[in-house]
Amino acid sequence: MTVSLRALDGVEETSAPAPAGRSGGSRRSRQRWLWALAAVAVTGASLVAAGVGERDVLRAEGIPAFVEFFRAAGAPRLDGEFLALTGTAALTTLAYAVLGTALSLVIGIVGGVLTSQTWWSLGRRARGKRGTVSWMLARTVLVVPRGIHEVVWGLIFLIVFGLDPIVAVLAIGIPFGAVTAKVFSELLDETARQPYSALLAGGASRSSAMIYGLLPPALSDLLSYGFYRFECAIRSAAVLGLVGAGGLGFQLSLSFQSLHYDEIWTLLYALIALSVAADFWSSRVRARRSARADGTQRTGRGADPVLVGSGVLGLALIVLSVWWIGLDLAVLWSGETWEHTRRLLGDAWPPSLAGDGLSGLVWLSAVTLAISILAMVIGFCGAALFAFPAANLPRGSYHTRRHVLSRAARLVLFAASRLVLVVLRAIPPPVWALLFLFVLYPGILPGALALGVYTVGVLGRLMAESAENLDVRPLRALRAHGASAAQVFCYGVVPAATPRFAAYGLYRWEVTIRETVVVGVVGAGGLGYALAQQLSGFDYGAALTTLATLILLTLAVDFISAAVRRTVR
Amino acid sequence: MIAMARDAEQARRRDRRAERATERAGPEPQAGDRDDDIVFELREVSVRLGQVEALSGVDLVVRSGERVAIIGPSGAGKTTLISLLNGTTAATRGEVRALGCPYGRASARHIRATQRRIGTIHQRFDVVAQLRTVHNVNAGRLGAWPFWKAALSLLLPRDVPRVREALAQVGIRDKLHERTGDLSGGEQQRVAIARVLVQQPEAILADEPVASLDPTRGLEIMKLLLDISAESETALLASLHDVDMALDKFERVVGLRDGRIVFDKRRENLHDDEVRALYAIEQPPGSA
Ligand SMILES: Nc1ncnc2c1ncn2[C@@H]1O[C@H](COP(=O)(O)OP(=O)(O)O)[C@@H](O)[C@H]1O
Ligand SMILES: [Mg+2]
Repeated sequence: MTVSLRALDGVEETSAPAPAGRSGGSRRSRQRWLWALAAVAVTGASLVAAGVGERDVLRAEGIPAFVEFFRAAGAPRLDGEFLALTGTAALTTLAYAVLGTALSLVIGIVGGVLTSQTWWSLGRRARGKRGTVSWMLARTVLVVPRGIHEVVWGLIFLIVFGLDPIVAVLAIGIPFGAVTAKVFSELLDETARQPYSALLAGGASRSSAMIYGLLPPALSDLLSYGFYRFECAIRSAAVLGLVGAGGLGFQLSLSFQSLHYDEIWTLLYALIALSVAADFWSSRVRARRSARADGTQRTGRGADPVLVGSGVLGLALIVLSVWWIGLDLAVLWSGETWEHTRRLLGDAWPPSLAGDGLSGLVWLSAVTLAISILAMVIGFCGAALFAFPAANLPRGSYHTRRHVLSRAARLVLFAASRLVLVVLRAIPPPVWALLFLFVLYPGILPGALALGVYTVGVLGRLMAESAENLDVRPLRALRAHGASAAQVFCYGVVPAATPRFAAYGLYRWEVTIRETVVVGVVGAGGLGYALAQQLSGFDYGAALTTLATLILLTLAVDFISAAVRRTVR
Repeated sequence: MIAMARDAEQARRRDRRAERATERAGPEPQAGDRDDDIVFELREVSVRLGQVEALSGVDLVVRSGERVAIIGPSGAGKTTLISLLNGTTAATRGEVRALGCPYGRASARHIRATQRRIGTIHQRFDVVAQLRTVHNVNAGRLGAWPFWKAALSLLLPRDVPRVREALAQVGIRDKLHERTGDLSGGEQQRVAIARVLVQQPEAILADEPVASLDPTRGLEIMKLLLDISAESETALLASLHDVDMALDKFERVVGLRDGRIVFDKRRENLHDDEVRALYAIEQPPGSA
């Protein structure tokens, strides 16, 4: 039964790409060529759809504003009044992120337990078919919240609750919770079952046995994953502000409307500071955890001060956040909420087609797909370019002993590329989109560029990390044969890195197709733009159709990406 | 309130045990003599696991206060037999009764109530390394506790005096707040035994409880289990790798091979040859 349940879950293979086996090797390589050809073809098609070389895509009159924006980076607005405003907004964004993450952990734990095989397959007597059916049902229930982006949740909750802090908390907590549940259920299923089944054998109920026998070993992994999600939540909280939920994002949108670039930069620096702080905290906690797991660090008796401190700080942050944003759960069951929900659902069902009918929907889907593809091409090429300068490659692998000057140059290059990557991923995609909308006409290109440069930042870091972890022994061997640094790079580093990079890129594509909504909402086009328009125009029937199309599109991309990853491995 | 009720319950159980003990002082009870002190009863039981017939046609009766050793080579079916008795494996054929509960026919609720009254100790301890000792011991009470109490106890340990007492009984009084994973193997097995102690079971099952310990530690643990069983007149059924220990410490020895009971005797009636045959390498088929 275990095997059959596992097989159903063939979508997610996180394992590091391994070289193809001997059998089927030639078929694999032929498939790889086909996929590469297909990639080139769809990129070309996307460019055509974007109107490159055909229509006027560049808005010459916007270029000065674009330049001025980046010039303002050196002169943010720093007077006391605006700093106070920025501080307040930053705290609000932080509070959303904290509460959203907390909610996602609660959903993740409960949902993770309910979607784990252990919960359904082990227990009194063979649970048989009933267990399998319940398990599949629980899994399916979580697919939908996972497929809908935070921003879409935000737009929907804005309709239901109006401008209420609960909007941001739910919009982050629900989709993050669904993802966390999936990750957590896998963690639980990998945890040793003996203690759990021993407790069941002693007559404990399933839930009691779960919290004593199965959760404690898996919990620390879950918490470190929760910290990672917290980093993401800060970015999401800021983006949600752009659609009206308050905090840094809301201030950003106000400053954008009034074209106060100095203010925008102050806000962006605050966002970068928040992200870096969250990043630092989470990597400290995770490093601590893995040191404990490896046993490289014997903490002896008692708990680790960093972990306990983080836990206490986290709890304190939750309490403070509730107070800061004035979260009031009563709104969840107020009569007005019910009324709005009822009206929303009543209007949305049955779903309808927007004015331009089915062909319009197909065109919008194509546009969305083109945005994601072009974004990935930009993101992949940029990231691959930055990855090696930004990687702290192991000494003696392919560096030679060089002159002091050339080493200094290499160091400068390293620092500069890291900085560029940090800035690229610190500015949220919708802000990039608003910037590109200065210089480009709405459509595929501004959205693709916005997502593309952001993806360079994210993917560049991942690729740099994976380049740092390359096996150095083959590289040393090449060096020993007298190959030059450039030759080692071409014959040793590139072939080893390519499959991993490709796998990362494909994973990122799955994220990017979801993120098209974010740039769409601010006007870059595609299904996201249509959805935002339909929601603000109270055309809920059409919005439901658009949403369903979006989910189908993301599922299709997940499927293709998984298929390609199988041949790349 | 709860403590008083518990004391009363303990007193009642002590009385019952005393009754049984006087009874046993007389001639050895024969099968079918009296049924109310039967703890485990297997009738013509077979268990098929995948392609393997792990147990076939097993008959076994264990009465309260008895101490039974199960010996046999690897793969004989010892683990299967024990999991059959605590209700985690279902019989393919035949009937298994534990404390009067017919596992095959009983309701889930009845089965759970029965499992609560049976304590099991495993070869690989099955304690949770990440939890503090006090929680691992308290895990023995999960069957008796409602969920909220179990959850609360993880934050504020409940019934600490009782846990302390159990830990003192197994000789690791001072490890109450230690992370269980930081304890030695022998100490972890003691934690597992303490867990069974707070469960106050009417029968203890032990599946090779000392197989992952060194001989000296193993002997100490075995003595501990026997003492507990003797003191509280609880039935003890242990599968053992170590034949000498079984013959030395248990009055009744059951030999298992290829899923069948080869012998089931009091130790004074057991012959050396029978034990040797139990572990003999099988003759290739057709050579006989
Ligand atoms: N889950 C299982 N699936 C299939 N066969 C099993 C399973 N568990 C045990 N067996 C088989 O059943 C037989 C008895 O196993 P077990 O009770 O573990 O023996 P012992 O504990 O005496 O070593 C062995 O032949 C073993 O291979
Ligand atoms: Mg065994």
